[in-house]
Amino acid sequence: MTDLAAAIDRILESADFVLGWGRDEETGVAEPARFHSTEESVSAVLDSTCVHNLAVHLPRLKDRTVGIVAKSCDVRSVAQLIVEGEVDRGRVKVIGVTCAAGMLDVKAIWRRFGYGARIDDPGDILTVGGQQFDRSEYLMGKCRDCAGAEPVIHDELVEMPGPAPDPARGVPGESKHAPAGGATTLQQKFEAMPAVERRAFWREQFSRCIRCYACREACPMCFCRDVCTMQTTEPHWAGGETNARESEMVQHVRVNHLAGRCTGCGECERACPVGIPLMLLLSEQNRIIEEMFDYRAGTDLKAKPPLLTFDIKNDSWGGG
Amino acid sequence: MRFLAVEKIDALLEALARSSSLWVPTVTEDSAGTVIFEAWEPGTAPVLDRFTTLSAKELLLPASEKIFSFAYNLSEGEESIEIEPSSREGGTTIFGTRACDAKAITVLDALFLQAPGEAYGDEQYRSRRLDLTVLTIACTTCDAACFCSSFENGPAEKAGSDVFLYPVEGGWLAEAITDRGRELTGGEPFADSGLEPPGLAVTRTVDIAGLQEKLLEIFSNIDFWQEATVKCLSCGYCTYTCPTCYCFNIFDEMRSDREGERLRGWDACMFSLYTRETSGHNPRPTIAHRYRNRINHKFSYYPANQGETLCTGCGRCIRGCPVGLDIRDVLAGVKEL
Repeated sequence: MTDLAAAIDRILESADFVLGWGRDEETGVAEPARFHSTEESVSAVLDSTCVHNLAVHLPRLKDRTVGIVAKSCDVRSVAQLIVEGEVDRGRVKVIGVTCAAGMLDVKAIWRRFGYGARIDDPGDILTVGGQQFDRSEYLMGKCRDCAGAEPVIHDELVEMPGPAPDPARGVPGESKHAPAGGATTLQQKFEAMPAVERRAFWREQFSRCIRCYACREACPMCFCRDVCTMQTTEPHWAGGETNARESEMVQHVRVNHLAGRCTGCGECERACPVGIPLMLLLSEQNRIIEEMFDYRAGTDLKAKPPLLTFDIKNDSWGGG
Repeated sequence: MRFLAVEKIDALLEALARSSSLWVPTVTEDSAGTVIFEAWEPGTAPVLDRFTTLSAKELLLPASEKIFSFAYNLSEGEESIEIEPSSREGGTTIFGTRACDAKAITVLDALFLQAPGEAYGDEQYRSRRLDLTVLTIACTTCDAACFCSSFENGPAEKAGSDVFLYPVEGGWLAEAITDRGRELTGGEPFADSGLEPPGLAVTRTVDIAGLQEKLLEIFSNIDFWQEATVKCLSCGYCTYTCPTCYCFNIFDEMRSDREGERLRGWDACMFSLYTRETSGHNPRPTIAHRYRNRINHKFSYYPANQGETLCTGCGRCIRGCPVGLDIRDVLAGVKEL
């Protein structure tokens, strides 16, 4: 029995089921699955294609006691949901995964080689459809500057099997910067743009948006979901037209609503059908929040989220 | 058949763009490899070796479009309301769609192209549709998400296409399907050819026989749908990228206190708000209810009402789903019940 299956079995003693990953036989990659019993847990999978952040399901499962298999970065979402009172620590059992070598951008791989192209990732060399690559070429953006910190909270701890840590990304557990949307080539290009060019860049990007709200639904922190004011007619804060202007506005409202709450998991960007680099916005905002408030969402259960906290006595913004 | 040499493609695109608004698959910079249809400009090389991320349905059913604009006037005690319908100019040509997406157009026709005055006849759709030319690239390869071979003609489906272009060495063999297609391929830059068209792709299949009745039989089995959708996030990815999903909403946008526009825009049955009633009651309260409707509409209600399956096996809902939900697994599950 694997460490993971054993951990799931132990968690199942006090949980209704465990959120984790199974194997999609057709494509060979991991897919989200639920495990209810020892018979099922043997098929649990842990590898570099476990890209999904399963914490997104927790706010919909408030009436259950559930276990969750969560990578260090996913655990930050669980922690932030607990901090915000959306999830009860007593009702979520965390199987934390220390993940040293990072996740593969499966979507990018399949965009290039065709959906379902076989992925083999035993170590440094990644093989896709018979061709070999340096795996760093297809690493998820958020994994690029993460050295695999230990999960903030965990009831069980397992290690991600597979590729060894990349020394270039530091020592596991000593990440200089926990996942917050890694520095990518696109990020460098974006940061070099003057403001005018940035405006044009985003107009172009959002001209592709179809307003499917996959960004919102894939986000663990976007739990307003069905009552999102960007979709309601009353109040009518966002126009219903699909165009770059409205889509950009909708996204800025979403991003601002995530100020001090985003854990940089990158699911919005991964879910986007038209490849809008949303993490450029969110990681920049995360950087600003950290600079202003010395706060990094989902890294400390006791820290007060700066933008969800009123300190009537000491704050001087009101009164008079 | 006729033959279009690879070096003649610009001549063809230029000719098409002269007589209509021409749309071709393109890949944009910094879009993570997204391939979408965009208006062709001289110098644009269409991306023909990859499947498009979005279908071309928005050229018939725009993501949002004006139905009419309105203005309220009050002058010397006289009230009046001006209504100005939207207008449209010129035809549209789509170059580089695939057989599944071309077929999808005829599936939508079954509803929107009904005669004016019939239940669902739609003027805006009709005016675009009757002025539409489609040049399809035949699929000689496919990926693991494709499942068009589940349907009658598979990749050889010609419905919806005016011209069918088979990739061959040095260019494309052109088969004219309609009069419009014959007119297009009759002269330059096409030439005669004695080449044989290549064999087409064979995709994975799912057995859809009998689904129309079976889905109604299991309607009340909500446990099945709950199990089928445990990982679904209820986003609009599958519906908005689907070439046959056509649900829309109608809404007003005010441009000032007294002027505004009535618009129509895409809506998705996977959204909770889609069925929420004014009272607050929602007849499809969970993801399971919503997904059941999506599948039933495609494989039961629409075939029953319009005589067409509301799916052509393009595989976009599988290819892009953020959680890897595979409609083929769900349909296979229905058959097993």
